[in-house]
Amino acid sequence: MSRIKDKLYLCSGLLSGFFIVVITLLLLAQIVGRFFNFIVPSAEDFAGFALAASTFLGLAYTFREGGHIRVTLVIQRFSPLPRKIQEGMILTLSLALLCYVSYACSFMVYESYIYDEVSYGYVPVPLWIPQVPVAVGAIALTLAVFDAWIDVVRGKQPDYVKQEDALSLEEI
Amino acid sequence: MDMMWISILLGFALFALLGLGVWVSFTLIAIGGLGLILSENYQIDLLFATSSWGASTAWSLTALPLFIWMGEVLFRTRLSEDLFKGLSPWLGGVPGKLLHVNILSCGIFAAVSGSSAATAATIGRMTLPELRKQGYSDRMAIGTLAGSGTLGLLIPPSIILIVYGVAAEVSISRLFIAGALPGLLLVSLFMGFTMIWGHFHKDELPKTTGHETSWAARVKGLRKLLPVVGLIGFVLGSIYGGLTTPTEAAAIGVTGALILAAFTGSLSRHSFMDSLLGAVKSSCMIGFILVGAHFLTLAMGFLGIPKALALWIGGMSLSPMELILYLTVLFVVLGCFLDGISVVVLTVAVILPVIQAANIDLLWFGIFIVLVVEMSQITPPVGFNLFVIQALTGKNILYVAKAALPFFLLIGVAILLISVFPEIVTYLPATMSQN
Repeated sequence: MSRIKDKLYLCSGLLSGFFIVVITLLLLAQIVGRFFNFIVPSAEDFAGFALAASTFLGLAYTFREGGHIRVTLVIQRFSPLPRKIQEGMILTLSLALLCYVSYACSFMVYESYIYDEVSYGYVPVPLWIPQVPVAVGAIALTLAVFDAWIDVVRGKQPDYVKQEDALSLEEI
Repeated sequence: MDMMWISILLGFALFALLGLGVWVSFTLIAIGGLGLILSENYQIDLLFATSSWGASTAWSLTALPLFIWMGEVLFRTRLSEDLFKGLSPWLGGVPGKLLHVNILSCGIFAAVSGSSAATAATIGRMTLPELRKQGYSDRMAIGTLAGSGTLGLLIPPSIILIVYGVAAEVSISRLFIAGALPGLLLVSLFMGFTMIWGHFHKDELPKTTGHETSWAARVKGLRKLLPVVGLIGFVLGSIYGGLTTPTEAAAIGVTGALILAAFTGSLSRHSFMDSLLGAVKSSCMIGFILVGAHFLTLAMGFLGIPKALALWIGGMSLSPMELILYLTVLFVVLGCFLDGISVVVLTVAVILPVIQAANIDLLWFGIFIVLVVEMSQITPPVGFNLFVIQALTGKNILYVAKAALPFFLLIGVAILLISVFPEIVTYLPATMSQN
């Protein structure tokens, strides 16, 4: 079970990374195109879509890796029991918030679909297509928070805390 | 409800959530939603979706993941070692000797990485053990590193300037170019101080240079510096010359960094994936904060808080200088508890109309706020660079903060200088190619 979960999280990260590579290639094509007088149609639109996809699809992976920043100044000083209660509280709160966020993003896709909304650029793209990754990413993040919530309820330390402790030493 | 009470309630909720350890991006969204409920606007789902979609597809923001990736790629090469070896022969003879290597390596690394903690960590890991071995004063080695580590925020391409530019709708190319002279100013202030210090504290420096300073060694050092300096020059030059947009420059930068890594043999499948996932982590984090900030800004606009604040402060008829002074204090205090990006997005959501009402140039303000955030990186209790250096050296955080104090004050001097001579910021953008 946990092995499948690891793979899913990694998948979130890799998909997000894939879209960063897509942005890079799109822009390179645009620069090269300028020398040879061809234009990549709606490159700016497509780069924007890829950015949204990259940002949202990677949210779950980033969450699990402790990449989303927060203020740990106060909570670091808590002793283990209050700390557990605090993590449980904020995870419950975050879960409620993200359920709503997921709903809002999914509803946006639905509306774009039924009203046949298209992008304004040179190549009109039905907007629901690039919006799907946004909804999927938001839902994935909600599941990741739920996953951490279960860990805390079961009395385990959620993954992001472990990563945060290592993170403060290594990078960012 | 009265607007003042709403503001107080929102402010209280904001700090309560942040203090309890709710993630910054989540907090911004929650406060934005709460604000909309309090303003009796019930189309929250629609407003959130459209503002998020708009914020996350912004063309100018596409530069962000690419510059982060570029830094991640170079971070995994032997860049810091090359910088140390390349710069040492040039600086061994200057008063203060190799302490300047700290400053200049940080400056150069900052130009590729855009993150101040990464700058301090990468350069420090290389230089601190070396400086200690050669008998340099610990305090000064740590101080120069802490101070110049913050250069990562200002010297373009800087991540935080992209965040400010996107949030405040200021041109990112112009912000980058505006950051160049203040960045050089800071480097000169740091080096000047180190020279003076070195002149008076010869006993805390090693007698010999420990490194060759002959011209042959210098030329050899230059060869090590050339690729990376060339890459930076190319990226910044093409933005300044109007040849490319910052986003295109970022794409060239990533490609250049990958080629550089391939030539120096540090590019493998593993390091490629590592750098990409590292970039994902930072850019998703920042991207989601921007989504939250955009939504919060929208909610604030509905509530009319920024406008009211602008009117209220406008009514106090402060001079711009007084306003800047108060804002500096406010930001340094805020920066004691929050990271730089959060300070910037909160400022833009709430204080921007005040700045506009006071006729302060938004381009200048961007550089100003980054300088203040730099100061806050080296103030306890949460200066991020302090943690990084504490982890590197095992020294107590207060010791590190004390060692960094002169540099904190020097950044203050830089803020004073750009306030008195705003041309330091605005001159280059004004002369920049228009296309």
